[in-house]
Amino acid sequence: MENAQLISLSRQIALQRQMDVVANNMANINTTGFKSENMLFEDYLMPGASDPDFTGLDQDLHYTEDWSTIHDMSTGSIEQTGNPLDVALSGQGFLTVQTPAGPRYTRNGSLQLDASGTLVDLNGNPVLGESGPIQFDAADTDVMIAANGAISTSQGSKGRLAIVEFADPQALQREGSNYYSGPTGSPATGTRVVQGAIERSNVSGVAAMTEMIRVERAYQMLASVMQRQDDLRNTAVAKLGDMTV
Amino acid sequence: MKALYIASTGMAAQERNVEIISNNIANMRTTGYKRQRAEFQDLLYQQFLRAGSTTSDQGTAAPVGIEVGSGVQTAATPRIMTQGTVDPTEKDLDLAISGEGYFAVQLPDGRTGYTRDGAFDRSAEGLLVDVDGNQVEPGITIPDNASSITISADGIVEAYIGTASTPTQLGQLQLYRFVNPAGLESIGDNNFVETAASGPAQAGTPNSDGMGHVMQGYLEQANVNPVTEIADLIAAQRAYEMNARVISGADEMLSSVSQMR
Repeated sequence: MENAQLISLSRQIALQRQMDVVANNMANINTTGFKSENMLFEDYLMPGASDPDFTGLDQDLHYTEDWSTIHDMSTGSIEQTGNPLDVALSGQGFLTVQTPAGPRYTRNGSLQLDASGTLVDLNGNPVLGESGPIQFDAADTDVMIAANGAISTSQGSKGRLAIVEFADPQALQREGSNYYSGPTGSPATGTRVVQGAIERSNVSGVAAMTEMIRVERAYQMLASVMQRQDDLRNTAVAKLGDMTV
Repeated sequence: MKALYIASTGMAAQERNVEIISNNIANMRTTGYKRQRAEFQDLLYQQFLRAGSTTSDQGTAAPVGIEVGSGVQTAATPRIMTQGTVDPTEKDLDLAISGEGYFAVQLPDGRTGYTRDGAFDRSAEGLLVDVDGNQVEPGITIPDNASSITISADGIVEAYIGTASTPTQLGQLQLYRFVNPAGLESIGDNNFVETAASGPAQAGTPNSDGMGHVMQGYLEQANVNPVTEIADLIAAQRAYEMNARVISGADEMLSSVSQMR
């Protein structure tokens, strides 16, 4: 009889994690280049006791298991900022950033220069061009970034942003700080760079809120299921153990 | 349940966002003010199942993992160094820079402040000073009997001294620029000071070497766009509310747990 409770428990644990995912999406509703995350579940068939001599088969027990989180890679809204070093990527591409732990990929195009004139992201890590970091000097003005990622200034060409695409973006892992790590990507073919704009988070407030209410209600429902199971057992113990009948 | 703490990082981030936006709006009419923007980053992820881990003896691998994030942080508040609109003031010592560059002023603590606010005046000694009385670098002294002061686009200050029929050159203003102006530290009073991130100041003559030109009788207004600020404010406020709602949702889930026997 505990099975119903254990199954409810497996679902509740999964729902708690889903609530964490929803909360993380909601917390990052204003994070530049953030991609929302969704959780997928599958049922886990409990291996039951079986033997040819048993007259009937054990009942199948299906537990809930969180199976994976998938990245929703749809493009967020593109917001004009007018800042010449802000870039938004229209398409499935990623910027490549050289971090101390190796190359990382990001959709956050809020770029800066450091004291030596290297193009860096907000963490100070160099943003890579096709032939290494992109270097500016003090005489450079009127930075232009073309749709294919080519950067030019008043002093001429500065290189081209290394924008990569992935055959399977789901294989990327989130590293925090808007970074993804994963297999080496291939040079982008279908990604356009928009200068003077940034990509907002693609989290939809309405969808996240609805999801949260659903999780919350499902959780409460399971709590009530467990409560009834407990009551049932309580009654059974009282009735079956009653010696006065 | 992590959701409580995740949502609290969301609320803290939006609170910071509203602070930045309100400072932008408060400085909407501040001469030479450059607006700021709050930039956020997601925090670390907890990997319950790593993508690519083996799922069977046959070597099948999980195509996607289980990653649960832990919230949001404010990464930076970069200044957007775009040109503000220049308003005519018809005051002969009001200067605006059209293009790159900063004026330098000598701060009382010995540091050099860099500013886009060119509302200058004369001190009792005739020195060119900013509104706080800090001397503009390089020092330019305007004699008492000077009249018809003109400042050219390349920063040359000229005036007619006494009854002279030809103007006398009193000096030339310099502009200063930085490799990374967004890395300057704001110290208030419309002044910035250089940091390791901005790189050292590089002096130059206005209207040459990529420097902007000086416009006499104009002031540069703040580059704050009220429409985008209000839109950002609404978005930040809604995001704050939604995160608060997540906290109450997580709380209800926990309370349904505590009501179980």
